[in-house]
Amino acid sequence: MTAMSDRIGWSFRGAVGASIPFVCAVLGVIASNVPVSVFGALVPPPMFGLMPIYFWCLVRPDLMPPFAVFAIGVLQDLLGGGPAGVWTLSFVGAYAIVDRERDSFAGLAGIGAILGFAAAMLVAGAAAYAIISIYYWRLPPVAPIVVEIAISVVFYIPVAVILGFIHRRLVGPLRGDF
Amino acid sequence: MANGTMRYSRGRGNAQLPLAIVVVLAVVLVLLGKAQSSLFDRARASFTDWTRPALEWVSTPFDRMATWFDGIGDIFVVYQENQRLKQENARLRQWQSAALLLDERLKRYQLLLNAVPDPALNARTARVIGRASHPFLDTMIIDAGKAQGVKPGEAVVDARGMIGRIFLSGERTSWVLLLSDLNSRIPVTIQPGNIQAIMAGDNTPNPTLDTLATTAPLKAGDQVVTSGDGGLIPPGLPVGVLVASGRSFRVALLADAGASQDVRIVDFKLPPEQPPAPSPDDLPAAVAGLKPEPPMPEQKTTPLQTTPMPGAASGAQAKPAAPAAGTAPAPKAAPKQPDITDNGGVQDQ
Repeated sequence: MTAMSDRIGWSFRGAVGASIPFVCAVLGVIASNVPVSVFGALVPPPMFGLMPIYFWCLVRPDLMPPFAVFAIGVLQDLLGGGPAGVWTLSFVGAYAIVDRERDSFAGLAGIGAILGFAAAMLVAGAAAYAIISIYYWRLPPVAPIVVEIAISVVFYIPVAVILGFIHRRLVGPLRGDF
Repeated sequence: MANGTMRYSRGRGNAQLPLAIVVVLAVVLVLLGKAQSSLFDRARASFTDWTRPALEWVSTPFDRMATWFDGIGDIFVVYQENQRLKQENARLRQWQSAALLLDERLKRYQLLLNAVPDPALNARTARVIGRASHPFLDTMIIDAGKAQGVKPGEAVVDARGMIGRIFLSGERTSWVLLLSDLNSRIPVTIQPGNIQAIMAGDNTPNPTLDTLATTAPLKAGDQVVTSGDGGLIPPGLPVGVLVASGRSFRVALLADAGASQDVRIVDFKLPPEQPPAPSPDDLPAAVAGLKPEPPMPEQKTTPLQTTPMPGAASGAQAKPAAPAAGTAPAPKAAPKQPDITDNGGVQDQ
């Protein structure tokens, strides 16, 4: 009986630990889409939702499965107000690239890690731009998406530190497989 | 950075097949969103309604903070600002006198021409509870929805001019597509010259002008107002002024969507076109020698119906059948007739 309760408790803790990356991404999407202009709408909000996707796709891809990325993208589209599926497909595309080149990305540290996220954000932004261009059948201005990519890369630096802390102190101990 | 300090799982998570499925699902979602956008819009509107209290709660301190920061800058220029406002007030008083005179003259001309008056506008005031500025989207959320009678397509204005139009209305909230948004296209008129154009947003602060006659004489500073073409947006709403941008022109918007806290939603409906009312002689009953129906009371309210047609006037005098009926309230309508003569002139009362 005790062994069973331990096993159930361990499974619950493991499930909670496994859901933390997804929850972080959901919180990131919400933070990106809180419709409050902190900087007077001068700069777009960073793409916080993509940061946990990129981070855990490299660190523990089993904790950030493709269906979770799909759900995060749908939420981004739902809250963002844009056409359906644009950021969903962009996130999935960026995830696919990062997952394919994971061995190259995983070894990056310092500036390299930031550039790795910049590459992922560039893929997502380019995909979104291409989809929007086809969607409306005209080329939107490039500057807003470039600013979005730049601001997201800048914000990834502190966010990556927070995500690393969460991974070491919460995800690992809860799952017990570190 | 954090990536370098992590211990990486070597396994790839066997994600290839799910990834392919998810890519297909995402493509289907894009196509579905294009074909059936209402599904997604309904979900979005419901979600915004549900989060309305939270949005208000979050936006209030930011709005107050923005107002406070704006006020800090104003403290240092309060004297100059006071002087400027006094001068502006004096100028505006002169303009007010001119506007009142012109308004009276316009009313007289409209009466002379028997012109159809502009439709009345009904406006509701709402508070901005959110602003979203994304790379491909420029919107705001207001705290009025279907419950307050807000409908998609209605124009949204602030004290200075038009901000955008409603593109999605939930029960208690609505999304406003700003004029600078990529999807915004409204018909406008450039004054003076009455030049028609389409103002298109491109996610920059100054929208562009499309579908413009190439020979149209434009200059920076020309006024841009809504034209009302299509019947969705009322005509004459101030939008902005022309500014030169290379060889073309853009529109510097009058409204400041980033600072507006209260907006008005303009409910506008073009009145249905009324055909001229038939005279009693035109009715088949009168032609057949039967007693005509009594005239409808509202027939004497519309300008088109009060204008007697030349043939009808002479016919009425020639055939006394209608007054002889006795039951028809013709004498009540008769005093209205002398106001407008057959040649369109208006007599003094």
